[in-house]
Amino acid sequence: MITPKSFTTFLAPLLLIAMTSASPLQAQAGESKKIPSVDEIVDRTNRAAYYKGKDGRAEVSMTITDKQGRKRTRAFIILRRDEPAPEGQAEGDADSFCKDQKYYVYFQRPADVNKMVFMVWKHVDERPDDRWLYMPGLDLVKRIAATDKRTSFVGSDFFYEDVSGRSIDADRHELVETTKNYYVLKNTPKKPDEVEFSFFKMWIHKKTFLAVKTEYYDKEGKKLRVYEALGVEKIQGYHTVVKSRMKDLRTGGETTLEYRGVKYDVDLPDEIFTERFLRRAPRKHLK
Amino acid sequence: MKASPNLFNIPINRPRLITIVMVAMTLLFAVGALLPTLWPRAFPFLHPVAVDTDPENMLAHDEAVRVFHDRMKEEMSLYDMVVLGVVNEKDPDGVFNPDSLRKIHELTRYAASLHWPDEDDPDQEVGVIAVDLIAPSLVDSMEPAGPGEVRFDWLMAAPPETREEAIEVRRKAERIPFLNGTVLSEDGKALCLYLPITSKDLSYTIYTKLKEKIAGFTGDERYFITGLPVAEDTFGVEMFKQMAVSAPVAMVIIFLLMLFFFRKFVLVLSPMIVAMVSVILTMGLLVITGNTIHIMSSMIPIFIMPIAVLDAVHILSEFFDRYPEKKDRRATIVDVMNTLNRPMLYTSLTTAVGFASLALTPIPPVQIFGLFVAFGVLCAWFCTVVFIPAYIMLIPEKSLKNFGHAPGSDHEAPRSLLSRLLARTGRFTFLRSRGVLLFFLIVTLVAVFGITKITINDNPTKWFQASHPIREADRVLNEHFGGTYMAYLALEAMEEEKKPEAYAAELADRITSQEKVLREEEVDGTETVFPALRDEALRLGSRASSLEEMLDELDAFAARMEMEDETFAPWNEALLLISREKGRREVFKQPEALEYVAALQAHLDDSNAVGKSNSLPDIVKTVHRDLLDGAEEQFRIPDRPATVGQCLMQFQSSHRKDDLWHFVTPDYRKTVIWAQLKSGDNSDMAEVADAVDRFVADNPPPVALEQRWFGLTYINVVWQEKMVSGMLQAFLGSFLIVFLMMTLVYRSALWGILSMIPLTVTIALIYGLIGLVGKDYDMPVAVLSSLSIGLAVDYAIHFLTRSRNLRERHGSWKNATGAVFGEPARAIARNVVVVGVGFLPLLLAPLVPYQTVGMFIAAILFVAGLASLLILPALIARLERWLFPASEKQGKMCRCGTIVFSGAALAALVIINAHQFLSIGWNVLTWPSVGMILVLAAVCYFTRRFRNCHEPAPSNKDEIE
Repeated sequence: MITPKSFTTFLAPLLLIAMTSASPLQAQAGESKKIPSVDEIVDRTNRAAYYKGKDGRAEVSMTITDKQGRKRTRAFIILRRDEPAPEGQAEGDADSFCKDQKYYVYFQRPADVNKMVFMVWKHVDERPDDRWLYMPGLDLVKRIAATDKRTSFVGSDFFYEDVSGRSIDADRHELVETTKNYYVLKNTPKKPDEVEFSFFKMWIHKKTFLAVKTEYYDKEGKKLRVYEALGVEKIQGYHTVVKSRMKDLRTGGETTLEYRGVKYDVDLPDEIFTERFLRRAPRKHLK
Repeated sequence: MKASPNLFNIPINRPRLITIVMVAMTLLFAVGALLPTLWPRAFPFLHPVAVDTDPENMLAHDEAVRVFHDRMKEEMSLYDMVVLGVVNEKDPDGVFNPDSLRKIHELTRYAASLHWPDEDDPDQEVGVIAVDLIAPSLVDSMEPAGPGEVRFDWLMAAPPETREEAIEVRRKAERIPFLNGTVLSEDGKALCLYLPITSKDLSYTIYTKLKEKIAGFTGDERYFITGLPVAEDTFGVEMFKQMAVSAPVAMVIIFLLMLFFFRKFVLVLSPMIVAMVSVILTMGLLVITGNTIHIMSSMIPIFIMPIAVLDAVHILSEFFDRYPEKKDRRATIVDVMNTLNRPMLYTSLTTAVGFASLALTPIPPVQIFGLFVAFGVLCAWFCTVVFIPAYIMLIPEKSLKNFGHAPGSDHEAPRSLLSRLLARTGRFTFLRSRGVLLFFLIVTLVAVFGITKITINDNPTKWFQASHPIREADRVLNEHFGGTYMAYLALEAMEEEKKPEAYAAELADRITSQEKVLREEEVDGTETVFPALRDEALRLGSRASSLEEMLDELDAFAARMEMEDETFAPWNEALLLISREKGRREVFKQPEALEYVAALQAHLDDSNAVGKSNSLPDIVKTVHRDLLDGAEEQFRIPDRPATVGQCLMQFQSSHRKDDLWHFVTPDYRKTVIWAQLKSGDNSDMAEVADAVDRFVADNPPPVALEQRWFGLTYINVVWQEKMVSGMLQAFLGSFLIVFLMMTLVYRSALWGILSMIPLTVTIALIYGLIGLVGKDYDMPVAVLSSLSIGLAVDYAIHFLTRSRNLRERHGSWKNATGAVFGEPARAIARNVVVVGVGFLPLLLAPLVPYQTVGMFIAAILFVAGLASLLILPALIARLERWLFPASEKQGKMCRCGTIVFSGAALAALVIINAHQFLSIGWNVLTWPSVGMILVLAAVCYFTRRFRNCHEPAPSNKDEIE
């Protein structure tokens, strides 16, 4: 269970943001005092984490620290574009269309992976994601057939699924606790054999619907991994996690992500999320 | 030859007091050791029995190789491993059938769950480290999935349902060099799970739990559990079971034999009591002083017992022979003690010295062993001289009726077979002294030849009998797999000699040329950013203490500027340039370094002892091949470091990203090759290490590398080497001390030399036999050399002391032989039989070191007894004139020789000890010691000249005539 101390440390900035800014989310939360349904919490959490704006970009610096305290860093730029909403459906706020997405990850550093690109077409239905890799050293574009999204994202403690989002249909969700500021969800996988955890708990901030902490547990109820949002900023009206950390308690390693230059609704063209642009990075959109 | 009256009057006058004191002492020691063991909390100030079965502790904790081993294990996240093999030889597809794989899957799950909170620190988990467990269901497979596509998946996410799927698992696994020959056998009949464990001492628990789980399976599969930690830990457990069985059995046999010889139950009980008391006092003291019971110290009782019984048997033997004459126990015991007092003191002292000299070996458990056996020997001596007389005094006179040897049998018509045989031997040695000596000379020469044939080798797995499940597992698994003994070869890039300042100048040039490139590409801001970067680089170059520090600071500078400065793009380019510079230091991403490692690995694989090896180049090659559609010709190291980096990042984008760090450190400056050896023989490991040294000498690496081994298999080699040289020096040291003691005791170097002869012959014969038979010189064999000092010198002392007395009494050796081969020879012969046969039950032990000890104690006693009873009388017969100098002149001559000899011995002793303590080279010590001998000889010369010898010293020739 969460300790009061750790709770307040990362709560403080969050509350501050929530109180001083007037976002549509906050207004809604203020209006209805009653607890939203589980489905609603899940839906809004999903949007708050992955569907801000119709597209977005960020520079990410990743620090991987192992049990021995040895650090490695990676720097990459991440571009995201959501499938446009079908005719007649609104975009841009909580009602925005919440479907497939495309990610383009362009590596800058370390130097040996400079220009390496990783691209994902994320499908929210049953289909496995489409993934591509461009390796500049071999000048090679590779499609990656991986049924499993719970593998390390470029050697970090984050999984691919942590970066692009776990399908909300993959788990059964239950609201196990409501505290002053948080909804605590317990999520149990529908296909337990395909994942390494037996359930995970999320602490969802009531006003922003950001998951500020997620804990993954094994069969014996022991914690396996812990995700924490360490910093939140309001960018273009969206509460955005700008610093986060994933700890793997089995290996004793952890990875911190810091986001800079976050921008939403930058009008990324669909064509850059294609094989053609893996070899020739879309410089204009990466700056 | 008067006994110091006080010491012997007390036991004879106050036997009860002595007995009570001794029993009280024994109880005190026993209780002192037992109480804290049974109730550790109630007695915090006392030490409980602590067991340490780890042969690694043969080396001190701060021993360089151990420090390195521990550091590398931590740095590479490597752990000691329990190896669990599953073999199916009945199914045509081997283990690759749905049923076997299902069991293996279940077993893997079970093995992964074998961890629990640490008792001392509940936050820490101990047991199997699940994330590093290597098993088919826990490793990844990467393979081409059609053109332009690559697939990452678990090798065996779930147990296959059909035979085809099972064979598919095999096909996938065979493609991966790391798995082939390590996890699956090349014939497909067997699979191995590797269970890394937090600490070696848990391996027996895990071994037992796995066996319980396996007992629940039925089918054609056979299961084998091995790995050095299991062997070592299991050995520890069996060792204690063994101690509880074999030592007592030996006691019983000794007891029965003594009963056979002396036929008086109450009397025969006394040596047993002495042995028990000595063992309890010694082991009690060991525990109370906080020492652990190690493989070595567990042998203390076995060593103390024969020695403790030895003296008592002499007393009983004498008492047995003399009592019938005197018919008075007090008079007899006083007489016996007067005769035996000296030899017993000497023998005990020499034995104690022999063992105490082990304190000079560089191996802590051997030091403890030596010191405590020495203590035990002195304990036994004290108990013998104090308690046995007291005990005899406590026996009512009437119950000794009919006890003993018939009177007068020594000189006339000896009755018993033993007496007759000994009497004949005595005559034989006198009449055929030349023949006897010639025979032993030849035998000794053959033995010396045997000694040159000795192979030094040990293997903890072979401490179990060939039929033990661990040995069987070892045999079967090493038939199927590359080998289950892991040794790790660490290669570390040496720091460049280059100074930060010189490097900064080079860097500045590279910054300038990159600036040019960027300007051409019209990257805005380059013209201000790059000069700033260059200035900072030069500034740091003059200040930083290392290249690493300099680059880190430059990186931090650029990162800071990138945040602050508007001109984002050029700073980003600057960071890239710095990252590229850092990449240059990543030695094991450079293709030529990897090629070198691969070549070294190939050389390792050529060695017969190495069945298989794993390395960083293997990983790089595999990923490279599979990214390039699996083409076999792409199984190679790419040409560019960046490609290596990209391949490795792909390798890490898996379920087991940290597997990479078992092979290389994140700074890519240290890499490790895993060598799987087919046997745990130290000789094999040493051979492999030599092969690597030769390779490196013949093929200088492209960058300066330092290579060093670690892993249990290698540590064993190191402590063995220390053991062998340490033991040899300890043996030489104690040999010289004993020689000096003997020379002092007899006040003659000749007698001193004489007393060392049975020992020398015994050692030569025993070790010669080891060489000829081809038995490996291992830990127990090494330790036995000190036991030989203890035992063989004893017989010589008893024999010589008594011979000297009897020669004086009888006037000539010819006349004395009969007497010498009466009572004194009988005591020695009885001793040989009682103690030697008494230790034969150790041959039934399931642990080989105990068998060896049992065998060798018997052999040492037999040979030492024989040597004392044959060589010594023959030599005395030949050298009588010299040993018992008739004239003044001869005497002086002898004394002078004594001084020279003892001076030389003393000097040698100082050299050996100083060498051992200070590790000074031999050369440094040679000249001062030669000088010392000359000085001593000069002193001798002058004393002779000025005090007694007014006449010139007679020549040798004169002497003989």
